[in-house]
Amino acid sequence: MAAGKRTQDSRLTTVSDRLVRMLKWLGPFLALALVIALFAGLAPDRFLSTYNLKTVATQTVIVGLGALGMTFVVISGGIDLSVGSLIALCSVITAVALRAGHGPMTAVLLGVSSGVLAGAVNGLLITGLRIVPFIVTLGTMGIARGLAKYLADEQKVDADALGLSGLMAKSPDPAWLLVAPGVWLLLGLAVISAVVLKRTVFGVHTFAIGSNEATAHLCGIRVNRTKVLIYALAGLFAGLAGVLQYCRLTVGDPTTALGKELDIIAAVVIGGGSLAGGSGGVLGSLIGAFLMAFLANGCTLTGVPNYVQEIIIGAIIVAAVAIDALRQHRDSP
Amino acid sequence: MTTRMGLLASAVLCMAIGCSGPGADGRTGTGKQAPPSDQPQSPERSPAKEPPRTIAVIPKGTTHEFWKSVHAGANKAGREAGVTIAWKGPVREDDRAEQIKVVENFIAARVAGIVLAPLDDKALVPVVKDAIGEGIPVVIIDSDLSFAGRVSFVATDNHAGGAAAAQRLGTLLGGKGKVAMMRYQEGSASTMKREQGFLDALQKKFPEIEVVSSNQYGGATTETAYKTAENLLVRFGELDGIFCPNESTTFGMLRALQDAKRAGTVRFVGFDASSKLVEALGQGQIHGLAVQNPFAMGNLGVKALVDHLAGSPVDKRIDTGVEMITADNMGQPPMQALLSPDLDKWLK
Repeated sequence: MAAGKRTQDSRLTTVSDRLVRMLKWLGPFLALALVIALFAGLAPDRFLSTYNLKTVATQTVIVGLGALGMTFVVISGGIDLSVGSLIALCSVITAVALRAGHGPMTAVLLGVSSGVLAGAVNGLLITGLRIVPFIVTLGTMGIARGLAKYLADEQKVDADALGLSGLMAKSPDPAWLLVAPGVWLLLGLAVISAVVLKRTVFGVHTFAIGSNEATAHLCGIRVNRTKVLIYALAGLFAGLAGVLQYCRLTVGDPTTALGKELDIIAAVVIGGGSLAGGSGGVLGSLIGAFLMAFLANGCTLTGVPNYVQEIIIGAIIVAAVAIDALRQHRDSP
Repeated sequence: MTTRMGLLASAVLCMAIGCSGPGADGRTGTGKQAPPSDQPQSPERSPAKEPPRTIAVIPKGTTHEFWKSVHAGANKAGREAGVTIAWKGPVREDDRAEQIKVVENFIAARVAGIVLAPLDDKALVPVVKDAIGEGIPVVIIDSDLSFAGRVSFVATDNHAGGAAAAQRLGTLLGGKGKVAMMRYQEGSASTMKREQGFLDALQKKFPEIEVVSSNQYGGATTETAYKTAENLLVRFGELDGIFCPNESTTFGMLRALQDAKRAGTVRFVGFDASSKLVEALGQGQIHGLAVQNPFAMGNLGVKALVDHLAGSPVDKRIDTGVEMITADNMGQPPMQALLSPDLDKWLK
């Protein structure tokens, strides 16, 4: 009798386990589908218009790129608070290079490589000084912001974009691209990131470090080197985001992307990333970024004030983490 | 387990639906009683008829009192012309990228026209061009945009406003002394013109006045301005005069002066007004407020757009004027109308 009950119980557990897993995996999709369906219902002709979808796609690029890098960082059990400031720094560097008379290719390369460099510095400080990522990147957040303002002379930097603004144009040239080149860049990099994360040694090591750093070390993974690579990769994405932020604004703005790191972390968390490390995914993070962009867009389209939008996004973050906690609770005996 | 999951699912749903709660423009939340299951978009929920023409008014932020006056003025013009005013600022105040998003979203919403107070004279140009390309005319208010395609530019002559502040401060100081100017924020065109107008006029008319500091920025909020002001006051133990170019810097400076027990001992001329600033003016802690007319800015901005939509010609530049308000003239009716416009009448 008792034994029979137990089997039934455990079968129930596996079923609900699966459900919870599915909910966690499907959660971001479900939330995104709900948001889209809701606004499509409220303002069908406007919300689903080609123009609006192009708009939302372009609006997602900056946070989306940042979220790709942040996904690696969060999976490895770290965090990068400096990404918003890095976006500003790299956009200023791009603008300054253009103003100094360099060609667009050089300017973009300078912007992106500054991001990589700054990211590598983050990684080296974390591993070299053995300080937690939160503190290191809190520090570099201030340093990068200050540097951006210094390089920009405490002004926005006006520079001729030399056609770079086309990268973020909602109506791209040539027209067969359908959406801004920046959107394709985001999607392409997302596919590459997903492959790197799932199919390469680097990706496996990233998960291993986030799941249990000590074990990863014992298994012979070069933890420090991998970590520096991870933060440099996050810097690369921040650099790209910075360059595209410049393309969008057409001025190098040292005060841009203030607080953007929180949107980026939110995108990763909504997408199933756990700040404890060891879980998260590129697709989820991307969905998280799109979810926030669609929400902001839909709220404007339906005349919902900003504070409601902020409350909803906050609630979604808590719900996403709650689902994650639910799964962890079921996993542990 | 199932009940827990059900709870979660409905929580997610409620969150999504909560979005349609308080409609900003009097529209009722049509999604409130959405069925808890599969098909959130049943056909009867799509709006049956379009509301009257909507004009979007986009401020730089929504928490400064200045923008509430702009909002009231816009609402007045909207009611008189029979158009709906959709009021929305960037979620992060003073963030150029966020403001671009708001403009984009209004273009997608196919509003009849946009009244915009751009956070940047260049960064907002591409999106305004987009709007015009989509057949949506744009009137610029408060700070200008480097783009001639706008219908009109409705604003204060900021350079003249800064010069008026210099005139007031210079006269108060008798043409001598040490003066500090705390700037507002990097790249804000309107305040930069005021700052330049102040410095130009001071140099020209009162060459003996020494400007000891003019490179400190108060930043976007009262709180950051407060901090910068505190630091400035610590750095300069002896100051004869101070100028601040907008409401948040003026208020931040006022609080810092009050804390340091120096309010009233330093001649202090600010820009813009709020109830706290006017109170300080009455108490002799502020000695002059250059006051713009934000109500007229919102009002004339919407009117210019309505006229343009009706096919009437509109002036390319509409000046809304600056008045220097002092303890002596603050009681006069025209100043009172500027200082305490009847906002509730138009915002409620």
